[in-house]
Amino acid sequence: MNVTSTPTVGGSVRSLPRPRRRRTDRAHRGITAAIFLSPTLLVIGLFTVVPMIMTIVISFHRWSMFTPITDMDFVGFDNYARLLNDSARVQAIANTGVYVLLSVLITVPLAFLIAMLLYFPRLRGRNVVRVILFATYVIPTIAIVIIWSNIYAPGYGPLSAMVQAIGLTPPGWLSDPQWALLSLVIFNVWQMLGYYVILLVAGLTQIPEELYEAAKVDGAGIVRQTWSITLPMLSGSLVFVVLMTIINSIQVFDPIYLLTQGGPAGSTNVVSFEIQRSAFQYGQAGDASALAVSLFMLIVLVGVVLNAILKVRKR
Amino acid sequence: MKKHTWLSGLGIAAAVALVATGCSSSGGSDSGSTELTFLTHWGPDQVTMLEEAASAFTEENPDITVKVQAVPFANLLSTLRTQGASADGPTIAGIYDAWLPELARDGLAAEAPADVAKDVEENWPEGVVSAASQDGKVYGIPNEIDLYQLNYNTALFEEAGIAEAPTNWDELVTAAEAITATAPDRQGIGFITSWNSGAVHPFLSLLASNGGSFLNAAGDAADLESPEALETAELYQQLVDAGLTDSSMSGANANTTGPYLDNFVNGKTGMIIMANWWEGSLKDAMGDDFANVATAPIPVGPSGDVSSSISYSWDTIVNGNASDEKQAAAWKFLSWLNGPDSGENGSSAMGDILISMGILPSRVSDVDAHAEALSSEFLSSYVTAMETATPFPTVLGASAAADALQRQIEALLNGQADAATAMKTATTDVDAALTAAR
Repeated sequence: MNVTSTPTVGGSVRSLPRPRRRRTDRAHRGITAAIFLSPTLLVIGLFTVVPMIMTIVISFHRWSMFTPITDMDFVGFDNYARLLNDSARVQAIANTGVYVLLSVLITVPLAFLIAMLLYFPRLRGRNVVRVILFATYVIPTIAIVIIWSNIYAPGYGPLSAMVQAIGLTPPGWLSDPQWALLSLVIFNVWQMLGYYVILLVAGLTQIPEELYEAAKVDGAGIVRQTWSITLPMLSGSLVFVVLMTIINSIQVFDPIYLLTQGGPAGSTNVVSFEIQRSAFQYGQAGDASALAVSLFMLIVLVGVVLNAILKVRKR
Repeated sequence: MKKHTWLSGLGIAAAVALVATGCSSSGGSDSGSTELTFLTHWGPDQVTMLEEAASAFTEENPDITVKVQAVPFANLLSTLRTQGASADGPTIAGIYDAWLPELARDGLAAEAPADVAKDVEENWPEGVVSAASQDGKVYGIPNEIDLYQLNYNTALFEEAGIAEAPTNWDELVTAAEAITATAPDRQGIGFITSWNSGAVHPFLSLLASNGGSFLNAAGDAADLESPEALETAELYQQLVDAGLTDSSMSGANANTTGPYLDNFVNGKTGMIIMANWWEGSLKDAMGDDFANVATAPIPVGPSGDVSSSISYSWDTIVNGNASDEKQAAAWKFLSWLNGPDSGENGSSAMGDILISMGILPSRVSDVDAHAEALSSEFLSSYVTAMETATPFPTVLGASAAADALQRQIEALLNGQADAATAMKTATTDVDAALTAAR
């Protein structure tokens, strides 16, 4: 029997049972937590962790999707080595980089500007504008693509007509390799802008009004207030928006599949489209998985870097 | 105890449900009938015709029923990849012949029984049979065959003062110059981009008409640095440099139409090189103006002797993973569907369905049965071209190789690469694609 000795008044010693109740409570809490968490863990395990592990395993094999998964041949790092030896994949990686960079450079400052315009001036109807902006994010891409394919139509499309109206020759928005990727970036900015504006407006509401009042008393103008109060106080939201823009842009697929099929001349071929093509058109599931794993690692790396930047700024 | 009983009950119920599910999906129902699934990319009208043919077959064979599953062309191969490997996946699938090497290698396409193979060998042209075969064994029953010809707008030709369709490349360039000169927003000839077959097949047809070929005789390496291939690429470069073709007017959308079709039907493009199955799209888009569309053989190049179009065919295959009973039923249905007794006036039911889409049937007796329809002004040139057609290579990696060539053709059309660089890069990429697929 487990006992503990406790000194008592008068020098007598009384044996007490160990505080089992606390340990039992802890154990109970653990079991209860496990029971309550198990459905979620099961779902995450089945639908997230298992497919991720399978993707990693497949990336080290050669496997045709027409055959059972047990018929894979181990090829080591061959699929990864081929990533940089295939000109189409190198072009896809480069295009993805350009697409992400342009999306961030255009979307984030624009979203910040619109968020400021929607938040600070007390204008009527600004909530309506917010809803309209957000609507582009809610509407399925397939529906938007129908409209944008007409907007970008050469010759008779409204965009070409506008350019022609000012005496310029419109480019082939989706058929000119020098314009096609940029046209898709513009589409992405238009589609995602509302979502990021809402996120930034939410961030702006968290900045205490008193800070601006104090700054005004000190004679700070709008530029100084933005630079010294808004930007530092909004840095968390801004980093999140940058991260989301990068993640969404890296994963771009729908507009490319629907509008350009990676062309012309591979100018809009991006990593996610190349994954689809490798797996479902060429039947090279190992290559596609290696690309997918690389893409995932890239996203994780971006997340880690941004997180580190945020921590440094906080210090 | 109570808990154990409840769990045991649940387990038994689950087992019973699984067994029941397994039974229902095995394809052999209690009534003894075999249900087949036919995967196709056809549109609603042709699906209805196929369903009617299947019903007629079931009347004669009450123990076999056929269910049609239609998906868009762009999703056909991916549907096969996700469903085909299962014994309960589509029993029959219509496939593009370039996919056959992989499907046969992986056992998804079953080898045709001896009687079916004999029927195919006896009743289809040799080139089409070879496209439906791998290592000398027949794996599918061919149905449609597609070729490319020069389509031109006679009204624009008249306006440009050109009397006849070009028969060689010099005449092609002259005609393109004359048409381009008629109006500032016109192009003499259009080459489609952003759609692999649309970009690659016209190039390869011009190459074949110049005495060249896409791959070497063994089908394991590109033959795109040959003098014939360089001349073909130089023709493209010449047309681009002279402003006789404008890539901004020739993009395709997801339906393989888009600006390319729009500019031709609106009289802004004088000539295109396109497949016979476009007839329906042209008729729908042009209405009465379709009367201005004429068809001519692919112009012959300086190193070529005869006009030769790239041809490709479609086959119906049977799922090699399906049960023996299902496979036997599937071959029975396909033999009937493609046989001379299932359609009208000596045509097969398949031949009737294909003709309704303006597609050339490949069975010899179907071509005879539909001789009148195939002698139309638009189609007759395509039918004649079957004699000298060059089949698109059906080797492992052909799809990836075609995509690699497409990128360089589009680079040429957009002035991003000269002819020699484009063919050199294409050779490297095509070789890499073929190697990766083996």
